[in-house]
Amino acid sequence: MSVSIFGQDATQERAENARLSSFVGALALGDLVKSTLGPKGMNKILHSTSTGEITVTNDGATILKSIALDNPAAKILVNISKVQDDEVGDGTTSVTVLAAEILREAEKLVTLKHVHPQTVIEGFRIASKAALEALEKSATDNGKDAAAFREDLLAIARTTLSSKVLAADKDYFAELAVSAVLRLKGSTDLEHIQIIKKQGGKLTDSYLDEGFILDKKMGVNCPHKIENAKILIANTPMDTDKIKIFGARVKVDGTGKLAELERAEREKMKAKVAKIKSHGVTCFVNRQLIYNYPESLFAEAGIMSIEHADFEGVERLALVSGGEIASTFDQPELVKLGKCDTIEEIMIGEDKLIKFSGVAAGEACTVVLRGATGQMIEEADRSLHDALSVLSQTVKETRVTLGGGCAEMTMANAVDEEAKRTDGKKALAVESFARALRQIPTILADNAGYDSSDLVAKLRAAHYEGRSDAGLDMEKGIVGSMKECGVTESYKLKRQVVLSASEAAEMILRVDDILRSAPRRRDGH
Amino acid sequence: MAAVAPAPAAASGGGNRRNFQNAEKPIEVRLSNMTAAKAVADAVRTSLGPRGMDKMIQTAQGEVVITNDGATILKHMSVMHPAARMLVDLSAAQDIEAGDGTTSVVKLLSKGIHPTVIAESFSRAATKVVEYLTEMSTPVDLNDRESLLRAASTSLSSKIVSQYSSILSPIAVDSVLRLVTPSSTNVDLRDIRLVKKVGGTIDDTELMDGVLLHQNVITSAGGPTRIEKAKIGIIQFQLSPPKPDMDNQIVVNDYRQMDKILKEERLYILNMCKAIKKSGCNVLLIQKSILRDATNELSLAYLQKLKILAVRDVERDEIEFLSRSLGCKPISDVEQMTADKLGEADVVEEISRNGAKVVRISGIKNPSGKTVSVLCTGANGLVLEESERSLHDALCVVRCLVKKRFLIAGGGAPEIHVSRLLSQYSQSLKGMEAYCFAAFAEALEVIPTTLAENAGLNPISMVTELRNRHALGERTAGINVRKGVISNILEENVLQPLLVSTSAIELATETVGLLLRIDDYHPCR
Repeated sequence: MSVSIFGQDATQERAENARLSSFVGALALGDLVKSTLGPKGMNKILHSTSTGEITVTNDGATILKSIALDNPAAKILVNISKVQDDEVGDGTTSVTVLAAEILREAEKLVTLKHVHPQTVIEGFRIASKAALEALEKSATDNGKDAAAFREDLLAIARTTLSSKVLAADKDYFAELAVSAVLRLKGSTDLEHIQIIKKQGGKLTDSYLDEGFILDKKMGVNCPHKIENAKILIANTPMDTDKIKIFGARVKVDGTGKLAELERAEREKMKAKVAKIKSHGVTCFVNRQLIYNYPESLFAEAGIMSIEHADFEGVERLALVSGGEIASTFDQPELVKLGKCDTIEEIMIGEDKLIKFSGVAAGEACTVVLRGATGQMIEEADRSLHDALSVLSQTVKETRVTLGGGCAEMTMANAVDEEAKRTDGKKALAVESFARALRQIPTILADNAGYDSSDLVAKLRAAHYEGRSDAGLDMEKGIVGSMKECGVTESYKLKRQVVLSASEAAEMILRVDDILRSAPRRRDGH
Repeated sequence: MAAVAPAPAAASGGGNRRNFQNAEKPIEVRLSNMTAAKAVADAVRTSLGPRGMDKMIQTAQGEVVITNDGATILKHMSVMHPAARMLVDLSAAQDIEAGDGTTSVVKLLSKGIHPTVIAESFSRAATKVVEYLTEMSTPVDLNDRESLLRAASTSLSSKIVSQYSSILSPIAVDSVLRLVTPSSTNVDLRDIRLVKKVGGTIDDTELMDGVLLHQNVITSAGGPTRIEKAKIGIIQFQLSPPKPDMDNQIVVNDYRQMDKILKEERLYILNMCKAIKKSGCNVLLIQKSILRDATNELSLAYLQKLKILAVRDVERDEIEFLSRSLGCKPISDVEQMTADKLGEADVVEEISRNGAKVVRISGIKNPSGKTVSVLCTGANGLVLEESERSLHDALCVVRCLVKKRFLIAGGGAPEIHVSRLLSQYSQSLKGMEAYCFAAFAEALEVIPTTLAENAGLNPISMVTELRNRHALGERTAGINVRKGVISNILEENVLQPLLVSTSAIELATETVGLLLRIDDYHPCR
């Protein structure tokens, strides 16, 4: 008689089955994003079934985030791509693909050669250590020399952008991204770089502007240009301060009294405006609505009023102008006002926006993105964000390595050497790790439609001959010097890719049992 | 036509594996994108050119729209396919090029050229095209009204309203010219106010001196409808019994109190009206309020006695335009009612033409306000809507000339010219690029071909003759659709701004590039 141990609908997969299902899930996911890798990588359409929204993207993290998955191992890969996105911002596809390739090798070892998963893991650990050492040795550092470092940054930006939608205008955008990041002066706080998206125009109509741009309108009749502005940023209701007790109501015995009441409400508004005026401000930005009456009072006093600025806008404005968001106005001396040189109206495409230039935080700047379609701008935004985050990380960790499969090949060869020194079955796993690393240049070549086995063999030979800067030149389809091509990548990015991928692979490999709880029952009604 | 949407892949659940099997293969995805793009292009194709036909669209609400404007057609078309939806984001002429660009793309793909190579070559080809176009353009001076008129009437000639182009194009040119200063590089079209009224014919459309209001004068109490030497006040308060923000209740104890309430109400409103009269105001524009009635019978009666003309239901976003053009400031409280906030005009009157009533404010004494009003009339709603759209297009054309002051010939002349140069240039290239450039050149020929087709001419003989004439050095030869021959298009006064052609090419290329790089389609949440 069978005894049911698990609850209804809860399932268990064990040993071989569990491992198989993890492998299959992870490999499928790797294959899914594989084609987006590299300068000749492809885009995917993500079509939301609930809202009908369309996203066209090449960004691994975005793809993995959006698709619906029902496989625990695949979810782990999605997770590491998210971590990569948070840590470095780019390389989300690489990390997923590498993890999947490592697992593919592991599967062969476990199923064909009957190596115990723990032995495989041990080998992988040795391999990843050797790989990271080789990577560190190959990295170069130009952090001291400002001009050379700028060149490095430009090269990194170009390399990152060349696999994105901005590839055609990568020089333009690389310049833009580097200028923006260098304004940050070493901070990695990308909050200071604001990206405004406006449909219309072409991609190269995008530009970098110093200062801050708020997508709002000014109040009627107030001055449209202010110099040496003092800005009060507030989040306060500007209508009559209603008594917020439920059911509070006034009882009067005539219309005259009602008129008096209304007059009193107006007086309250006026008093509040007077209080705000007493701060000595020339510009008042409120997150909530400013109604007609206060607006006209402000206009009379020559104060520029901007109403209904969104949450993000207000917070950013406070950040860049050095002010604080105020909600009471009784003690003017305690409120920190924001400052900027000029506030004026500018026109982008069809819309009028407000520009704050010469703000207190000198590092603040705004990138105005233009593009033909909504999808294009969204994708450009994602690409630019990737480039910006990689660059800001590089400013902190100034070492760089070479791209185009060069760093991977260097690591793979070092791992191969290590394999020779390793004894026992572990050596098999170390060798497999090297093979997985070599898959990255293979995929790059495959995506570009070149003969990958030929190219990768040539590349490997070149590295053994001592041409340590050899990589795949995807424009010509040959093995060339990556230093001359200017294909540079951040050391931190590459390191993070190898680290996360091997850790994730290890995690999945250790699994021998998958328990699935019963899905939460939704009461049908 | 948009029924090419792929069958939606099985929704979530069932795991990643099933999802992956449902994802279409790269080639299929690409082909389906191209087919969709072509379908969209075909839908708008027949509306191109002076002999283009109109489309009748029944919207989801059952409304009928008749139009020739590509952007409008696409906006109303309910498109399912993601690629097609991206094209909808682009508009008319640009779609045709993007759509037909895809035809040549299919040819290239079947030759086995890698899609990213095509995309890159196309963007290079587009740069080349822009270069050629700029080369053949002629600069235009904004004082040269004749050239501007020609450009505007070329744009109008393909619309339903083409027979009225002699009336509409001067309107478009003059209204934009009133707004430009010699240094301006852009014009805010919101400063041009189009007031639509059903009644009369398109002939009666006119550019008005001063400001037009589509709202009517309130005449229910017999107030004046014409005021000379008007002093105009825009008020944002209401002429109705007081209503504080708090809930209120008037408690009546006996009948004498009822008299008191009525008396007080009357007094309250009378005082407001008197205050208005005292400031010298004799025309009132009242902002719409959702909380209170703008006026009641009582206040109207007082206004009538005080000989004040009242217009209500002015929207809040109209206030800025009105206050700028009338030179007055909005008044948000009766206490702020002073003479300096009023705008002056010679005459304010309600004019009625062919049953359409509008309020006209003329002879405004406000030199700084740069705004224009245009009264659009039409026999029925459909014609009126289309006439407004056409006028808007014409305004945009003139605005393009303000932005970039160059003109080129129309009638397919530039397309053929560029196509010829480009295919010549392609012969000097080697590798895959040569094919792509040649294909791009071929795609450009679609414009003259479609022009000829729509005019019922033989496209092949027309286009070949056109190409021949260009080869013989007649750079301005184009298709004369009216006469059905090839002639010097400049003599026919068919001109268009350079910006229209270049941006069409650039935007179309960008979109095709994005489409090309797509190799997979994923449904997601």
